[in-house]
Amino acid sequence: MSPFPVLRRPRPGLLLGVVLTITVPSLLAALALSESPLSAGVREDPSGHPVSAQSGPGMRLLGKSATAGLNASYQGVELIAQRGVSGPDTIVSDVWHKDGLTVTQTSNTTMVAGGQPYVSYDADNRSAEGVFGVTKTLVALLGEHYVAVYRGTGSAVGRPALIVELRRADGSLAARFWLDKQTMVPLRREVYDASAELISQDAFVQVQFGALRPPAAAMAATKAPAGSAWAAVTAPAQLVLELNKQGWRLPGALPGGLPLYAATRSHAGAAQVVQLGYSDGLSVVSLFVQRGALAAKPAGWEQNSLLGHQVYVAGHSIIWAAGGFVYTMIADAPPRVVTQVVASLPQNAAPGVIGRIRHGLARLVAIINPFG
Amino acid sequence: MNHLGEQISALVDGELAGADLDRATAHLAACTRCRAEAADLRQLKVELRALFEVDSDDALIRRLLDMPDRGGPVPSRRHRREHPRNTRPPRRERDTKRRRGRYVLWSAVSVFVVGVGAAAFTMGGTGGAATPEPKITPQLEMFNVEHAIISGDVPFPDPTRTTARATSP
Repeated sequence: MSPFPVLRRPRPGLLLGVVLTITVPSLLAALALSESPLSAGVREDPSGHPVSAQSGPGMRLLGKSATAGLNASYQGVELIAQRGVSGPDTIVSDVWHKDGLTVTQTSNTTMVAGGQPYVSYDADNRSAEGVFGVTKTLVALLGEHYVAVYRGTGSAVGRPALIVELRRADGSLAARFWLDKQTMVPLRREVYDASAELISQDAFVQVQFGALRPPAAAMAATKAPAGSAWAAVTAPAQLVLELNKQGWRLPGALPGGLPLYAATRSHAGAAQVVQLGYSDGLSVVSLFVQRGALAAKPAGWEQNSLLGHQVYVAGHSIIWAAGGFVYTMIADAPPRVVTQVVASLPQNAAPGVIGRIRHGLARLVAIINPFG
Repeated sequence: MNHLGEQISALVDGELAGADLDRATAHLAACTRCRAEAADLRQLKVELRALFEVDSDDALIRRLLDMPDRGGPVPSRRHRREHPRNTRPPRRERDTKRRRGRYVLWSAVSVFVVGVGAAAFTMGGTGGAATPEPKITPQLEMFNVEHAIISGDVPFPDPTRTTARATSP
């Protein structure tokens, strides 16, 4: 007699029935619940025509939010926490917006010593046209680089909100927006890098909508003489081509999938500064370029090495000089992207040993050459 | 005032939601201590992540990859130089005279290159200076405002200033 118990063999039909009963409903449920960008990317409207996620509810809500950020009147306090190249930056700003004019008063920051307020606005009504990066231009770029998915309702700063997520092509979460259900103005934004790390949190901690009394700084802005020192360029790519023919070295796009989308230039003649804006709708990099060399050891800047390139860093700004130009980069982008961008741009042209030898060889040849 | 305590970690990791997230961000806006603590925690996370990012060019990694078998010894640098992985059959012994001639040739070329290089290096450091360029200190305060206009966000203050002040660009 066998020492092991003998099990009765189950009937094959019964076993198959049990397996099918468990697996089929599970698979159907998983298919119904899954909302990867690929499944969210193409759907069908009631008439049976496929609808791209870029014209779906998520993108439509962000489009409405961009318009609301421009047209709505609001006043509040924003908390902005970003991870810059030199470490985390956190600021608290009082924000007032009405009729296209935005006034921000930043105070109580961890970066600025002293408790004095910081007021900034553009004297030519060229204020930021959105809240937390939700502008018409940037939303259009978002549609080209991300998939927007409406995730239902929630709340932010005590107000009912609609939640929209941005997903990358690989399905990973890139950002999450809370849009005010009543006004559609963004109330909160979280941005994640490719490894799912939270790299930026922007949120209203107080907000009011409607007719508001303008702060003193807004009154001063409206009374300031019109005419900004900066002018927007309608064809940024054309400007880059023209300046590159004159010896400038300006990129048409930046690494990390950041195409050129905006350009402005100051009216200052030979000392003009050109600003180029690069973005995928979520990360925004401004590159300011001007002729000249950096002043020796600029005060307040920390010397740093990014992939072997010597630069100066302060907050989320980086400066360096190369080939007779000074570059200032301001980046709202993951630190890894910022490093790649700096490495791709012209670098310090100070002649090293090789440069010095090359220059000397040219002089030697000029001396020796009997036909020169 | 009740500080955030352990909630700071959850906030920095993006794990808070709803009313908890509202309360935490509102507190952070008003509390310098917690904000500084959150900034420290974010910096710590950055540094910790940097520790785990392995450089693929690292010499130690290359040597580990060269290990013959699992559990075998890590080859020394000298061993790698002397016994490359794809060892070819040993070369034939060269004729002593031929070797000596080659040394002489290489020595002459080296002396010439070093001499010309030294001369070029000396001459390269003198004369021929480019036209003097204007010395620039970027107007970061103004640039921050222009960046905010195209990025749709609030301008960051100029961190290079030791004391902030009111401005109108």
